[in-house]
Amino acid sequence: MQDIFRFRIAIQTILDYKKTTITLTLLFMLISVMYAGMFPAFKEPLEEMGETGLFDSFSNFFGPATFDMATYVGFLNLELYQIFWMIILGIVIGFIAASIVSKEIEGKTIDLLMSNPVSRKQIVFEKFIGLIPMTLIINFGTMLAVIGITIVIGEELDFGNLFLTHVASVPYFLAILGIAILISVIINEKMKASITFIALLMGMYVIETMSKTVPDYESIGVVSITHYFVPYDTLKFGDFNIGSALILICVTTVCMVISLIYFEHKDITV
Amino acid sequence: MNVIETNNLTKYYGKIKGVEDLTLSVKKGEIFGFLGPNGAGKTTTIRTLLGYLTPTRGSATIFGRNIEDDIVEIKREVAYIPGDLNIYSHMTGKEFLNYFAALRNREMTLLNELLVIFDVPLDRKLKGYSKGMKQKIGIIQAFMDDPEMVIMDEPTSGLDPLLQQKFYDFLIKQKKRGKTMFLSSHILGEVDRVCDRVGIIRDGNLIALEDVETLKSKRGKKIRLKIKEKPETFAGPKDMKVKDGWIEFIAINDIDSWIKKFSKYTIQDLVISDFSLEDIFIHYYED
Repeated sequence: MQDIFRFRIAIQTILDYKKTTITLTLLFMLISVMYAGMFPAFKEPLEEMGETGLFDSFSNFFGPATFDMATYVGFLNLELYQIFWMIILGIVIGFIAASIVSKEIEGKTIDLLMSNPVSRKQIVFEKFIGLIPMTLIINFGTMLAVIGITIVIGEELDFGNLFLTHVASVPYFLAILGIAILISVIINEKMKASITFIALLMGMYVIETMSKTVPDYESIGVVSITHYFVPYDTLKFGDFNIGSALILICVTTVCMVISLIYFEHKDITV
Repeated sequence: MNVIETNNLTKYYGKIKGVEDLTLSVKKGEIFGFLGPNGAGKTTTIRTLLGYLTPTRGSATIFGRNIEDDIVEIKREVAYIPGDLNIYSHMTGKEFLNYFAALRNREMTLLNELLVIFDVPLDRKLKGYSKGMKQKIGIIQAFMDDPEMVIMDEPTSGLDPLLQQKFYDFLIKQKKRGKTMFLSSHILGEVDRVCDRVGIIRDGNLIALEDVETLKSKRGKKIRLKIKEKPETFAGPKDMKVKDGWIEFIAINDIDSWIKKFSKYTIQDLVISDFSLEDIFIHYYED
Protein backbone atom coordinates (compact mmCIF):
# COMPACT_ATOMS: atom_id res chain seq x y z
CA MET A 1 0.00 0.00 0.00
CA GLN A 2 2.80 2.38 0.88
CA ASP A 3 3.92 2.44 -2.76
CA ILE A 4 0.98 4.65 -3.64
CA PHE A 5 2.33 7.37 -1.38
CA ARG A 6 5.70 7.42 -3.06
CA PHE A 7 4.15 9.11 -6.11
CA ARG A 8 6.79 7.82 -8.49
CA ILE A 9 4.55 8.15 -11.56
CA ALA A 10 3.57 11.67 -10.51
CA ILE A 11 7.22 12.65 -10.04
CA GLN A 12 8.07 11.18 -13.44
CA THR A 13 5.20 13.15 -14.99
CA ILE A 14 6.57 16.36 -13.48
CA LEU A 15 10.04 15.56 -14.85
CA ASP A 16 8.62 14.69 -18.27
CA TYR A 17 6.94 18.11 -18.47
CA LYS A 18 9.78 20.12 -16.97
CA LYS A 19 10.77 21.77 -20.25
CA THR A 20 7.15 22.33 -21.26
CA THR A 21 6.44 23.97 -17.89
CA ILE A 22 9.40 26.33 -18.18
CA THR A 23 8.58 27.23 -21.79
CA LEU A 24 4.91 27.85 -21.12
CA THR A 25 5.59 29.85 -17.96
CA LEU A 26 8.01 32.12 -19.82
CA LEU A 27 5.60 32.43 -22.72
CA PHE A 28 2.64 33.43 -20.56
CA MET A 29 4.81 35.78 -18.52
CA LEU A 30 5.92 37.42 -21.76
CA ILE A 31 2.36 37.68 -23.06
CA SER A 32 1.13 39.26 -19.84
CA VAL A 33 4.01 41.74 -19.80
CA MET A 34 3.28 42.60 -23.44
CA TYR A 35 -0.44 43.15 -22.90
CA ALA A 36 -0.13 45.04 -19.63
CA GLY A 37 2.75 47.05 -21.07
CA MET A 38 0.56 48.16 -23.99
CA PHE A 39 -2.00 49.74 -21.69
CA PRO A 40 -0.45 53.26 -21.41
CA ALA A 41 -0.55 53.56 -25.22
CA PHE A 42 -4.15 52.38 -25.43
CA LYS A 43 -5.50 54.31 -22.48
CA GLU A 44 -6.55 57.50 -24.32
CA PRO A 45 -7.97 55.91 -27.48
CA LEU A 46 -9.97 53.54 -25.27
CA GLU A 47 -11.36 56.39 -23.21
CA GLU A 48 -12.47 58.12 -26.43
CA MET A 49 -14.07 54.91 -27.67
CA GLY A 50 -15.91 54.59 -24.39
CA GLU A 51 -17.32 58.08 -24.77
CA THR A 52 -18.70 57.25 -28.23
CA GLY A 53 -20.60 54.31 -26.74
CA LEU A 54 -18.76 51.72 -28.81
CA PHE A 55 -18.32 49.44 -25.79
CA ASP A 56 -22.08 48.88 -25.59
CA SER A 57 -22.00 46.43 -28.47
CA PHE A 58 -19.09 44.48 -26.97
CA SER A 59 -20.67 44.31 -23.57
CA ASN A 60 -22.97 41.58 -24.84
CA PHE A 61 -20.00 39.27 -25.15
CA PHE A 62 -17.75 40.30 -22.32
CA GLY A 63 -20.29 41.48 -19.77
CA PRO A 64 -20.34 44.65 -17.69
CA ALA A 65 -16.54 44.53 -17.47
CA THR A 66 -16.43 45.97 -21.00
CA PHE A 67 -17.41 49.43 -19.77
CA ASP A 68 -14.35 49.37 -17.58
CA MET A 69 -12.00 48.68 -20.46
CA ALA A 70 -10.37 52.08 -20.37
CA THR A 71 -9.13 51.38 -16.83
CA TYR A 72 -6.08 49.22 -16.13
CA VAL A 73 -8.08 46.54 -14.29
CA GLY A 74 -10.70 46.35 -17.04
CA PHE A 75 -8.05 46.21 -19.72
CA LEU A 76 -6.14 43.43 -17.95
CA ASN A 77 -9.34 41.48 -17.41
CA LEU A 78 -10.48 41.62 -21.00
CA GLU A 79 -7.23 41.36 -22.90
CA LEU A 80 -5.31 39.07 -20.61
CA TYR A 81 -7.57 37.08 -18.33
CA GLN A 82 -10.69 36.46 -20.38
CA ILE A 83 -8.91 35.57 -23.58
CA PHE A 84 -5.34 34.46 -22.91
CA TRP A 85 -5.96 33.05 -19.48
CA MET A 86 -9.31 31.30 -19.54
CA ILE A 87 -9.39 30.23 -23.16
CA ILE A 88 -5.84 30.00 -24.53
CA LEU A 89 -4.18 28.69 -21.35
CA GLY A 90 -7.22 26.48 -20.75
CA ILE A 91 -6.74 24.97 -24.21
CA VAL A 92 -2.99 24.52 -23.75
CA ILE A 93 -3.27 22.79 -20.37
CA GLY A 94 -6.25 20.70 -21.47
CA PHE A 95 -4.45 19.77 -24.70
CA ILE A 96 -1.52 18.41 -22.71
CA ALA A 97 -3.69 16.68 -20.09
CA ALA A 98 -5.92 15.04 -22.72
CA SER A 99 -2.89 13.22 -24.10
CA ILE A 100 -1.49 12.13 -20.75
CA VAL A 101 -2.95 8.61 -20.72
CA SER A 102 -3.87 8.28 -24.40
CA LYS A 103 -0.28 8.82 -25.53
CA GLU A 104 0.85 5.89 -23.37
CA ILE A 105 -1.83 3.71 -24.93
CA GLU A 106 -1.22 4.94 -28.48
CA GLY A 107 2.57 4.65 -28.06
CA LYS A 108 2.09 1.30 -26.26
CA THR A 109 4.40 2.36 -23.43
CA ILE A 110 1.48 1.54 -21.12
CA ASP A 111 2.38 -2.16 -21.56
CA LEU A 112 5.67 -1.80 -19.77
CA LEU A 113 4.34 0.71 -17.24
CA MET A 114 1.57 -1.69 -16.24
CA SER A 115 4.00 -4.58 -15.95
CA ASN A 116 5.13 -2.99 -12.70
CA PRO A 117 3.25 -3.52 -9.43
CA VAL A 118 1.14 -0.39 -9.91
CA SER A 119 -2.64 -0.30 -10.08
CA ARG A 120 -4.53 1.28 -12.92
CA LYS A 121 -6.13 3.75 -10.51
CA GLN A 122 -2.70 4.74 -9.32
CA ILE A 123 -1.55 5.45 -12.89
CA VAL A 124 -4.48 7.78 -13.66
CA PHE A 125 -4.47 9.49 -10.26
CA GLU A 126 -0.73 10.09 -10.23
CA LYS A 127 -0.80 11.47 -13.78
CA PHE A 128 -3.41 13.99 -12.57
CA ILE A 129 -1.29 14.91 -9.55
CA GLY A 130 1.79 15.17 -11.77
CA LEU A 131 0.17 17.84 -13.94
CA ILE A 132 -0.81 20.13 -11.06
CA PRO A 133 2.67 21.65 -10.48
CA MET A 134 2.86 22.73 -14.13
CA THR A 135 -0.52 24.45 -13.79
CA LEU A 136 0.49 26.19 -10.56
CA ILE A 137 3.88 27.32 -11.84
CA ILE A 138 2.42 28.87 -15.00
CA ASN A 139 -0.33 30.41 -12.89
CA PHE A 140 1.78 32.10 -10.25
CA GLY A 141 4.69 32.83 -12.61
CA THR A 142 2.30 34.88 -14.70
CA MET A 143 1.05 36.62 -11.57
CA LEU A 144 4.59 37.69 -10.71
CA ALA A 145 5.06 39.00 -14.25
CA VAL A 146 1.86 41.07 -13.95
CA ILE A 147 3.04 42.51 -10.62
CA GLY A 148 6.42 43.37 -12.15
CA ILE A 149 5.08 45.13 -15.23
CA THR A 150 2.44 46.98 -13.18
CA ILE A 151 5.18 48.45 -11.01
CA VAL A 152 7.28 49.33 -14.08
CA ILE A 153 4.51 51.19 -15.93
CA GLY A 154 3.31 52.75 -12.66
CA GLU A 155 -0.37 51.71 -12.92
CA GLU A 156 -2.58 51.08 -9.94
CA LEU A 157 -3.61 47.54 -9.12
CA ASP A 158 -4.70 45.84 -5.89
CA PHE A 159 -2.12 43.06 -5.63
CA GLY A 160 -4.24 41.28 -3.01
CA ASN A 161 -7.07 41.05 -5.54
CA LEU A 162 -4.60 39.94 -8.19
CA PHE A 163 -3.39 37.12 -5.95
CA LEU A 164 -6.97 36.14 -5.18
CA THR A 165 -7.75 36.03 -8.93
CA HIS A 166 -4.90 33.60 -9.48
CA VAL A 167 -6.01 31.52 -6.51
CA ALA A 168 -9.56 31.52 -7.91
CA SER A 169 -8.25 30.25 -11.22
CA VAL A 170 -6.81 27.12 -9.58
CA PRO A 171 -10.17 25.26 -9.32
CA TYR A 172 -10.89 26.30 -12.91
CA PHE A 173 -7.67 24.69 -14.16
CA LEU A 174 -8.20 21.63 -11.97
CA ALA A 175 -11.59 21.18 -13.64
CA ILE A 176 -9.84 21.47 -17.00
CA LEU A 177 -7.38 18.75 -15.94
CA GLY A 178 -10.23 16.53 -14.73
CA ILE A 179 -12.23 16.84 -17.94
CA ALA A 180 -9.14 16.37 -20.11
CA ILE A 181 -8.02 13.26 -18.22
CA LEU A 182 -11.49 11.76 -18.55
CA ILE A 183 -11.21 12.24 -22.32
CA SER A 184 -7.70 10.82 -22.19
CA VAL A 185 -8.72 7.51 -20.61
CA ILE A 186 -11.58 7.06 -23.07
CA ILE A 187 -9.93 8.00 -26.38
CA ASN A 188 -6.84 5.98 -27.33
CA GLU A 189 -5.30 8.38 -29.86
CA LYS A 190 -3.63 11.35 -28.26
CA MET A 191 -4.33 13.86 -31.03
CA LYS A 192 -7.98 12.86 -31.20
CA ALA A 193 -8.24 13.19 -27.42
CA SER A 194 -6.64 16.63 -27.39
CA ILE A 195 -8.81 17.91 -30.22
CA THR A 196 -11.91 16.54 -28.52
CA PHE A 197 -10.98 18.52 -25.43
CA ILE A 198 -10.52 21.75 -27.42
CA ALA A 199 -13.88 21.23 -29.14
CA LEU A 200 -15.52 20.66 -25.77
CA LEU A 201 -14.00 23.74 -24.13
CA MET A 202 -14.81 25.94 -27.13
CA GLY A 203 -18.32 24.50 -27.18
CA MET A 204 -18.79 25.37 -23.51
CA TYR A 205 -17.42 28.86 -24.09
CA VAL A 206 -19.78 29.46 -27.01
CA ILE A 207 -22.74 28.21 -24.99
CA GLU A 208 -21.87 30.51 -22.11
CA THR A 209 -21.41 33.51 -24.42
CA MET A 210 -24.74 32.71 -26.06
CA SER A 211 -26.44 32.50 -22.71
CA LYS A 212 -25.26 36.04 -22.01
CA THR A 213 -26.32 37.51 -25.35
CA VAL A 214 -29.58 35.73 -26.10
CA PRO A 215 -32.11 36.48 -23.34
CA ASP A 216 -34.04 33.19 -23.66
CA TYR A 217 -30.88 31.12 -23.20
CA GLU A 218 -29.74 32.76 -19.98
CA SER A 219 -29.88 29.56 -17.95
CA ILE A 220 -27.91 27.27 -20.29
CA GLY A 221 -24.64 28.96 -19.38
CA VAL A 222 -24.49 26.87 -16.20
CA VAL A 223 -23.27 23.84 -18.18
CA SER A 224 -20.03 25.61 -19.03
CA ILE A 225 -17.08 25.62 -16.65
CA THR A 226 -16.22 29.13 -17.89
CA HIS A 227 -19.41 30.22 -16.11
CA TYR A 228 -17.79 29.50 -12.73
CA PHE A 229 -14.67 31.61 -13.04
CA VAL A 230 -15.18 35.36 -13.50
CA PRO A 231 -11.77 37.02 -13.22
CA TYR A 232 -13.24 40.53 -13.38
CA ASP A 233 -15.21 40.21 -10.13
CA THR A 234 -12.14 39.07 -8.23
CA LEU A 235 -9.65 41.39 -9.90
CA LYS A 236 -11.77 44.52 -9.49
CA PHE A 237 -13.74 43.92 -6.31
CA GLY A 238 -11.86 41.12 -4.59
CA ASP A 239 -14.96 38.90 -4.79
CA PHE A 240 -14.07 35.25 -4.48
CA ASN A 241 -17.13 33.14 -5.18
CA ILE A 242 -16.72 30.07 -2.99
CA GLY A 243 -19.83 28.43 -4.45
CA SER A 244 -18.38 28.60 -7.96
CA ALA A 245 -15.05 27.24 -6.73
CA LEU A 246 -16.85 24.34 -5.06
CA ILE A 247 -18.74 23.56 -8.25
CA LEU A 248 -15.44 23.45 -10.17
CA ILE A 249 -13.92 21.17 -7.54
CA CYS A 250 -17.00 18.92 -7.82
CA VAL A 251 -16.57 18.80 -11.61
CA THR A 252 -12.93 17.80 -11.09
CA THR A 253 -13.83 15.12 -8.56
CA VAL A 254 -16.63 13.63 -10.64
CA CYS A 255 -14.45 13.54 -13.78
CA MET A 256 -11.61 11.89 -11.88
CA VAL A 257 -13.84 9.28 -10.23
CA ILE A 258 -15.36 8.36 -13.61
CA SER A 259 -11.85 8.26 -15.13
CA LEU A 260 -10.58 5.90 -12.42
CA ILE A 261 -13.55 3.55 -12.74
CA TYR A 262 -13.52 3.60 -16.53
CA PHE A 263 -9.80 2.96 -16.81
CA GLU A 264 -9.96 0.16 -14.23
CA HIS A 265 -12.22 -1.85 -16.55
CA LYS A 266 -10.77 -0.91 -19.89
CA ASP A 267 -9.19 -3.59 -22.09
CA ILE A 268 -5.69 -2.53 -23.06
CA THR A 269 -5.26 -4.11 -26.48
CA VAL A 270 -2.22 -4.03 -28.73
CA MET B 1 3.67 -26.59 -7.29
CA ASN B 2 1.88 -24.80 -10.08
CA VAL B 3 2.75 -21.20 -10.68
CA ILE B 4 0.14 -20.52 -13.35
CA GLU B 5 -3.17 -22.31 -13.44
CA THR B 6 -5.85 -21.44 -15.94
CA ASN B 7 -9.30 -22.88 -16.04
CA ASN B 8 -11.29 -22.49 -19.26
CA LEU B 9 -9.78 -19.06 -19.68
CA THR B 10 -11.57 -17.37 -22.54
CA LYS B 11 -11.26 -13.96 -24.13
CA TYR B 12 -13.46 -12.68 -26.92
CA TYR B 13 -13.04 -9.25 -28.50
CA GLY B 14 -16.71 -8.66 -29.15
CA LYS B 15 -17.51 -11.58 -31.41
CA ILE B 16 -13.93 -12.26 -32.41
CA LYS B 17 -12.28 -15.13 -30.59
CA GLY B 18 -8.94 -14.38 -28.98
CA VAL B 19 -8.50 -17.51 -26.91
CA GLU B 20 -11.06 -20.11 -25.86
CA ASP B 21 -11.33 -22.52 -22.93
CA LEU B 22 -7.64 -22.53 -22.20
CA THR B 23 -6.81 -24.89 -19.37
CA LEU B 24 -3.15 -25.35 -18.55
CA SER B 25 -0.70 -25.15 -15.72
CA VAL B 26 2.87 -24.03 -15.51
CA LYS B 27 5.05 -25.58 -12.83
CA LYS B 28 7.50 -23.78 -10.62
CA GLY B 29 11.03 -23.86 -11.99
CA GLU B 30 10.22 -24.80 -15.56
CA ILE B 31 10.57 -23.03 -18.84
CA PHE B 32 7.24 -23.27 -20.56
CA GLY B 33 7.04 -22.66 -24.27
CA PHE B 34 3.83 -21.33 -25.72
CA LEU B 35 3.85 -22.01 -29.40
CA GLY B 36 1.68 -20.93 -32.24
CA PRO B 37 1.72 -18.91 -35.46
CA ASN B 38 0.93 -15.21 -35.45
CA GLY B 39 -2.70 -14.59 -34.61
CA ALA B 40 -3.20 -17.91 -32.81
CA GLY B 41 -3.97 -16.25 -29.48
CA LYS B 42 -0.59 -16.26 -27.72
CA THR B 43 -0.52 -12.55 -27.00
CA THR B 44 -4.19 -12.50 -26.00
CA THR B 45 -3.50 -15.26 -23.47
CA ILE B 46 -0.52 -13.45 -22.01
CA ARG B 47 -2.35 -10.11 -21.83
CA THR B 48 -5.32 -11.72 -20.15
CA LEU B 49 -3.07 -13.44 -17.61
CA LEU B 50 -1.38 -10.14 -16.82
CA GLY B 51 -4.57 -8.14 -16.40
CA TYR B 52 -4.40 -6.02 -19.55
CA LEU B 53 -7.58 -7.71 -20.76
CA THR B 54 -10.55 -8.86 -18.70
CA PRO B 55 -11.41 -12.52 -19.31
CA THR B 56 -14.77 -13.11 -20.99
CA ARG B 57 -15.12 -16.23 -18.87
CA GLY B 58 -13.00 -18.76 -17.04
CA SER B 59 -10.39 -17.96 -14.46
CA ALA B 60 -6.70 -18.08 -13.76
CA THR B 61 -4.38 -17.88 -10.80
CA ILE B 62 -0.72 -16.94 -10.64
CA PHE B 63 1.13 -17.93 -7.47
CA GLY B 64 -2.26 -18.88 -6.08
CA ARG B 65 -3.67 -15.38 -6.52
CA ASN B 66 -6.64 -14.68 -8.74
CA ILE B 67 -5.68 -12.54 -11.75
CA GLU B 68 -8.88 -10.53 -11.52
CA ASP B 69 -8.55 -9.60 -7.85
CA ASP B 70 -4.88 -9.45 -7.10
CA ILE B 71 -3.03 -8.35 -10.20
CA VAL B 72 -0.89 -5.71 -8.47
CA GLU B 73 0.38 -8.24 -5.92
CA ILE B 74 0.99 -10.75 -8.71
CA LYS B 75 3.14 -8.23 -10.54
CA ARG B 76 5.49 -7.94 -7.60
CA GLU B 77 6.70 -11.44 -8.48
CA VAL B 78 5.98 -11.57 -12.19
CA ALA B 79 7.76 -9.48 -14.81
CA TYR B 80 6.79 -9.12 -18.45
CA ILE B 81 8.57 -8.56 -21.73
CA PRO B 82 5.93 -7.44 -24.26
CA GLY B 83 6.17 -8.65 -27.83
CA ASP B 84 5.82 -5.21 -29.30
CA LEU B 85 8.30 -3.46 -27.06
CA ASN B 86 7.76 0.28 -26.80
CA ILE B 87 9.85 2.27 -24.36
CA TYR B 88 9.76 5.93 -23.35
CA SER B 89 11.85 7.40 -26.15
CA HIS B 90 12.57 10.67 -24.35
CA MET B 91 14.41 8.93 -21.52
CA THR B 92 17.97 7.65 -21.49
CA GLY B 93 18.51 3.97 -20.76
CA LYS B 94 19.63 4.85 -17.26
CA GLU B 95 16.62 7.10 -16.55
CA PHE B 96 14.29 4.37 -17.75
CA LEU B 97 15.85 1.68 -15.56
CA ASN B 98 15.90 4.05 -12.56
CA TYR B 99 12.22 4.87 -13.06
CA PHE B 100 11.24 1.21 -13.19
CA ALA B 101 13.50 0.34 -10.26
CA ALA B 102 11.69 3.02 -8.25
CA LEU B 103 8.30 1.57 -9.24
CA ARG B 104 9.37 -1.93 -8.17
CA ASN B 105 10.77 -0.52 -4.93
CA ARG B 106 13.14 -3.32 -4.05
CA GLU B 107 16.74 -4.26 -4.57
CA MET B 108 17.90 -4.70 -8.16
CA THR B 109 19.99 -7.77 -7.39
CA LEU B 110 20.57 -8.90 -10.98
CA LEU B 111 21.05 -5.50 -12.60
CA ASN B 112 24.84 -5.51 -12.74
CA GLU B 113 25.02 -9.05 -14.04
CA LEU B 114 22.45 -8.25 -16.73
CA LEU B 115 24.27 -5.10 -17.81
CA VAL B 116 27.39 -7.19 -18.39
CA ILE B 117 25.54 -9.77 -20.51
CA PHE B 118 23.30 -7.35 -22.36
CA ASP B 119 25.49 -4.36 -22.86
CA VAL B 120 23.41 -1.25 -23.72
CA PRO B 121 24.42 2.43 -24.03
CA LEU B 122 22.85 3.63 -20.77
CA ASP B 123 23.51 7.32 -21.35
CA ARG B 124 21.90 7.40 -24.76
CA LYS B 125 18.26 8.39 -25.25
CA LEU B 126 16.05 5.40 -25.96
CA LYS B 127 14.86 6.94 -29.22
CA GLY B 128 18.39 6.37 -30.52
CA TYR B 129 18.33 2.67 -29.61
CA SER B 130 18.28 0.04 -32.33
CA LYS B 131 15.66 -2.73 -32.21
CA GLY B 132 18.20 -5.09 -30.68
CA MET B 133 19.21 -2.59 -27.99
CA LYS B 134 15.56 -2.01 -27.10
CA GLN B 135 15.02 -5.72 -26.80
CA LYS B 136 18.06 -5.96 -24.54
CA ILE B 137 16.85 -3.23 -22.22
CA GLY B 138 13.44 -4.91 -22.23
CA ILE B 139 15.10 -8.07 -20.96
CA ILE B 140 17.13 -6.14 -18.38
CA GLN B 141 14.09 -4.37 -16.90
CA ALA B 142 12.21 -7.65 -16.60
CA PHE B 143 14.91 -9.59 -14.79
CA MET B 144 16.69 -6.84 -12.85
CA ASP B 145 14.90 -7.36 -9.53
CA ASP B 146 15.09 -11.16 -9.86
CA PRO B 147 11.35 -11.89 -10.04
CA GLU B 148 9.98 -15.38 -9.42
CA MET B 149 8.55 -15.60 -12.92
CA VAL B 150 9.02 -13.76 -16.20
CA ILE B 151 6.43 -13.90 -18.95
CA MET B 152 7.91 -13.18 -22.35
CA ASP B 153 6.17 -12.58 -25.64
CA GLU B 154 8.60 -13.55 -28.40
CA PRO B 155 11.60 -12.23 -26.48
CA THR B 156 14.35 -13.00 -28.96
CA SER B 157 12.99 -11.06 -31.92
CA GLY B 158 15.58 -8.45 -32.82
CA LEU B 159 18.47 -10.22 -31.08
CA ASP B 160 21.35 -11.50 -33.16
CA PRO B 161 22.22 -15.22 -32.87
CA LEU B 162 25.10 -14.60 -30.47
CA LEU B 163 22.88 -12.64 -28.11
CA GLN B 164 20.10 -15.17 -28.46
CA GLN B 165 22.50 -17.79 -27.19
CA LYS B 166 23.51 -15.57 -24.25
CA PHE B 167 19.84 -15.07 -23.51
CA TYR B 168 19.11 -18.81 -23.56
CA ASP B 169 22.07 -19.42 -21.28
CA PHE B 170 20.74 -16.80 -18.91
CA LEU B 171 17.26 -18.37 -18.94
CA ILE B 172 18.69 -21.79 -18.14
CA LYS B 173 20.73 -20.29 -15.31
CA GLN B 174 17.60 -18.66 -13.89
CA LYS B 175 15.76 -21.95 -14.17
CA LYS B 176 18.47 -23.69 -12.19
CA ARG B 177 17.92 -21.07 -9.49
CA GLY B 178 14.29 -22.18 -9.30
CA LYS B 179 12.74 -19.36 -11.35
CA THR B 180 9.87 -19.96 -13.72
CA MET B 181 9.66 -18.71 -17.28
CA PHE B 182 6.78 -18.61 -19.70
CA LEU B 183 7.76 -17.73 -23.21
CA SER B 184 5.69 -17.49 -26.31
CA SER B 185 7.29 -18.08 -29.62
CA HIS B 186 6.75 -18.98 -33.21
CA ILE B 187 10.42 -19.88 -33.54
CA LEU B 188 10.65 -23.57 -32.86
CA GLY B 189 14.38 -23.83 -32.52
CA GLU B 190 14.08 -21.59 -29.50
CA VAL B 191 11.55 -23.77 -27.75
CA ASP B 192 13.48 -26.85 -28.78
CA ARG B 193 16.58 -25.50 -27.08
CA VAL B 194 15.37 -24.13 -23.78
CA CYS B 195 11.86 -25.26 -22.97
CA ASP B 196 10.86 -28.15 -20.71
CA ARG B 197 7.26 -28.25 -21.77
CA VAL B 198 5.34 -26.83 -24.60
CA GLY B 199 1.75 -25.83 -25.25
CA ILE B 200 0.69 -25.49 -28.85
CA ILE B 201 -2.13 -23.11 -29.64
CA ARG B 202 -4.07 -22.83 -32.86
CA ASP B 203 -7.00 -20.55 -33.64
CA GLY B 204 -7.39 -19.70 -29.97
CA ASN B 205 -7.48 -23.31 -28.78
CA LEU B 206 -4.80 -25.36 -27.07
CA ILE B 207 -4.14 -28.38 -29.26
CA ALA B 208 -1.20 -29.99 -27.50
CA LEU B 209 0.46 -29.81 -24.12
CA GLU B 210 3.50 -32.01 -23.64
CA ASP B 211 7.08 -32.40 -22.50
CA VAL B 212 9.41 -31.30 -25.24
CA GLU B 213 11.38 -34.55 -24.98
CA THR B 214 8.28 -36.76 -25.15
CA LEU B 215 7.02 -34.82 -28.09
CA LYS B 216 10.27 -35.30 -29.95
CA SER B 217 10.72 -38.99 -29.10
CA LYS B 218 7.29 -39.80 -30.42
CA ARG B 219 8.15 -38.63 -33.84
CA GLY B 220 11.14 -40.65 -34.92
CA LYS B 221 13.64 -39.41 -37.48
CA LYS B 222 13.38 -37.24 -40.47
CA ILE B 223 15.04 -38.66 -43.55
CA ARG B 224 16.07 -36.68 -46.62
CA LEU B 225 17.82 -38.36 -49.52
CA LYS B 226 18.84 -37.80 -53.09
CA ILE B 227 19.11 -40.72 -55.49
CA LYS B 228 20.49 -41.03 -58.98
CA GLU B 229 17.29 -42.70 -60.17
CA LYS B 230 14.10 -40.74 -60.61
CA PRO B 231 12.82 -39.80 -57.13
CA GLU B 232 9.36 -41.06 -58.04
CA THR B 233 10.73 -44.56 -58.42
CA PHE B 234 11.61 -44.71 -54.74
CA ALA B 235 9.21 -46.93 -52.82
CA GLY B 236 8.78 -44.74 -49.77
CA PRO B 237 5.95 -44.36 -47.29
CA LYS B 238 2.62 -42.79 -48.25
CA ASP B 239 3.44 -39.37 -46.82
CA MET B 240 6.71 -39.18 -48.76
CA LYS B 241 7.39 -35.84 -50.38
CA VAL B 242 9.62 -34.88 -53.27
CA LYS B 243 11.03 -31.39 -53.22
CA ASP B 244 13.81 -30.03 -55.46
CA GLY B 245 14.98 -33.56 -56.18
CA TRP B 246 15.07 -34.45 -52.46
CA ILE B 247 12.95 -37.25 -51.09
CA GLU B 248 11.64 -36.46 -47.63
CA PHE B 249 9.80 -38.66 -45.16
CA ILE B 250 9.54 -39.58 -41.51
CA ALA B 251 10.82 -42.88 -40.20
CA ILE B 252 9.30 -44.07 -36.96
CA ASN B 253 11.42 -46.64 -35.11
CA ASP B 254 12.42 -48.52 -38.25
CA ILE B 255 15.57 -46.87 -39.50
CA ASP B 256 17.23 -50.18 -40.09
CA SER B 257 14.72 -51.37 -42.68
CA TRP B 258 14.94 -48.07 -44.50
CA ILE B 259 18.72 -48.14 -44.66
CA LYS B 260 18.51 -51.64 -46.17
CA LYS B 261 16.01 -50.40 -48.72
CA PHE B 262 18.32 -47.51 -49.69
CA SER B 263 21.01 -49.99 -50.76
CA LYS B 264 18.94 -50.81 -53.81
CA TYR B 265 19.39 -47.27 -55.11
CA THR B 266 22.37 -45.12 -55.93
CA ILE B 267 22.52 -42.64 -53.06
CA GLN B 268 23.85 -39.20 -53.92
CA ASP B 269 23.18 -37.58 -50.58
CA LEU B 270 21.55 -38.56 -47.30
CA VAL B 271 20.53 -36.64 -44.20
CA ILE B 272 19.02 -38.32 -41.15
CA SER B 273 18.03 -35.85 -38.47
CA ASP B 274 16.03 -35.67 -35.28
CA PHE B 275 12.48 -34.76 -35.81
CA SER B 276 12.53 -31.11 -34.83
CA LEU B 277 9.68 -29.34 -33.14
CA GLU B 278 9.26 -27.52 -36.38
CA ASP B 279 8.30 -30.75 -38.06
CA ILE B 280 5.92 -31.57 -35.26
CA PHE B 281 4.54 -28.12 -35.53
CA ILE B 282 3.92 -28.45 -39.25
CA HIS B 283 2.35 -31.81 -38.51
CA TYR B 284 -0.08 -30.24 -36.03
CA TYR B 285 -0.96 -27.43 -38.32
CA GLU B 286 -1.51 -29.59 -41.33
CA ASP B 287 -4.21 -31.59 -39.59
